Amino acid sequence: MIAIITLLLDSYRLLKARALFWITLGISGLVGLLYLSIGFNEGGMSLFFGLVSFEHELFRKGSEWAELLYIGIFTKFIVPLWITWIAIILGLISTASIFPDFMSEGSIELSLSKPVSRLKIFLTKYLGSLLFMLIQVGLFTVLVFFALKLRMGTWNPSVLWMVPLSLLVFSYLYAVVVLVTVITKSTLAGILFALLIWFGSFIMNAVEGNLYAAAYTQSQGGDAEMQENLKPWYRASVALYTVLPKTKQTIEFGDRLITVGGQKGFSTEDFTAALLGAEADREDLEGIDDAVRRNSGFYVIGTSLIFEGVLLSLAGWLFCRRDF
Amino acid sequence: MEPPVLDLKHVRKVYKGKVEALQGIALQVPPGSVFGLLGPNGAGKSTLVKILTTIIRATECEGEMLGQPIGHKPSLQKVGYLPEHARFPDYLTGRQVVEYSAGMAGFTVRQASSRVEALLELVGMRDWAQRKVRTYSKGMKQRVGIAQALVNDPKLLFLDEPTDGVDPEGRREIREIVKRMREEGCTVFINTHLLSELEQVADRVAILAKGALVREGDLEELTKSKEEYEIVLASPLSDELVYKLETLSAVVANGHILFKGGDPKQLQPVIDFLRHHEVVIQSIQRNRLSLEELFLEVVEQSRNEEPT
Repeated sequence: MIAIITLLLDSYRLLKARALFWITLGISGLVGLLYLSIGFNEGGMSLFFGLVSFEHELFRKGSEWAELLYIGIFTKFIVPLWITWIAIILGLISTASIFPDFMSEGSIELSLSKPVSRLKIFLTKYLGSLLFMLIQVGLFTVLVFFALKLRMGTWNPSVLWMVPLSLLVFSYLYAVVVLVTVITKSTLAGILFALLIWFGSFIMNAVEGNLYAAAYTQSQGGDAEMQENLKPWYRASVALYTVLPKTKQTIEFGDRLITVGGQKGFSTEDFTAALLGAEADREDLEGIDDAVRRNSGFYVIGTSLIFEGVLLSLAGWLFCRRDF
Repeated sequence: MEPPVLDLKHVRKVYKGKVEALQGIALQVPPGSVFGLLGPNGAGKSTLVKILTTIIRATECEGEMLGQPIGHKPSLQKVGYLPEHARFPDYLTGRQVVEYSAGMAGFTVRQASSRVEALLELVGMRDWAQRKVRTYSKGMKQRVGIAQALVNDPKLLFLDEPTDGVDPEGRREIREIVKRMREEGCTVFINTHLLSELEQVADRVAILAKGALVREGDLEELTKSKEEYEIVLASPLSDELVYKLETLSAVVANGHILFKGGDPKQLQPVIDFLRHHEVVIQSIQRNRLSLEELFLEVVEQSRNEEPT
């Protein structure tokens, strides 16, 4: 146990020493502050702590639409753009060199010559690297949690689900980095492969999602035959997508866990309708929530964790067998 | 008699590409001694130490360390190790490096704090302990490296090129630390190229060449095998005296008389002979093979024995 704490403490010290850690934390704070600066009053809403305000029929203090919008800004804009896009890239860049540096000659000997199993060292080092994302997302989400209380007047702990979900997405990709860097000892190769898998997952998510929508949720001009023809293609896309980590869907899984207006589940349909206002045609929006929730949580997170587990097992096996 | 701290019966390592780094090493290291492992570059010295500290996996391994089979992880709690070209994370301070080593050996910061302080003092790094490793010179890093190797109060200490990059004063201090560790009952296993350094502290040495153990023994015994007396004369000897001296097993060359062997009793007839013939003796010196000469001789021999 002492060795595990020592390794985790070392990981924390390493992250603290990285400039990118502080830069990311600074940007997270800034984004959180911007989020906090959004307010609602009797007539509408304001930005930058009341510096800019405008009237709005739906988004007013005390309205349930205001809460939907406020949570929607977090789940639909900040989380996908900042936390699961930019922060993850910065996180990968910051942590990709951890294993190559650790495995370099003259450095690895200091840890492997101790009475600690290699597997324990490997796994603790891996978990220690996830601290980057945990600290970044954790602090940011806690800020959002307090902002919700301040602006909406209620505590909404369900937003904290974004911490483990974002951490999961980062861990899938970091498993790629670890496997590649254990094999090649190249930081650059690790980042490139992780981005490649991430891009592949993004493409396959789009392909599988669109095929699902076309085959199951859209009328396609009443062409039922075409829908039937698309179903085998959809099944093929599912087979391909199954082996990849579901980065986007893992984050979207948060929609099912977040509470809005006292009810569990964030509706993208309602949120989009609220944003579009009078121009919204509810018929066009129908099926969006079904499409987002087309796959079960077990499939989304379970298969992604299997992907991560396979990669980590291979990396761990190589790490334990290797001569340094 | 206490059992050896290290009792290797057969250690063999073949790397990928069929490079045989160690050809079945067998050696014993007695407890409380300073053991020097010598060998030219690529002889397999570091490979052997890395096998013993579980950093490299042996192809074949039979033997014990601290009474446990080689590779037994818990026994490493009583082993200290300073690797060659040790690289410490530059984001840590000197004290944190030593504390990291203590933590990995199973000691909390609180348990190790007094020993960490004492060791930083011992290696002369107490005033620099709060500074980041990246600000250290190579010699300072090596001092911190020795402190981290000692933090778990080891029974067996491996030092791989401990004086690498260290100034003469620092080397002397390291020698003193090694002697002190021996006095405290710790067995010190040193890999080094600096033979003169080792000669001053080692009790036993082993010489590796191309992965094979070519000589092993007590340093005193090994160097004694080539002992001789050198007598320097004030003037050259006549041919007749040279001839007579040679019958007494002495060799005369360039006004010097060389007499093989370290027994002073056997030298007395030669001195008596010279005094009897009124030869002026300028000096008599007892010569012993230095460790460096022994090393070079053994390595040269092993090269000559290679199949062509």
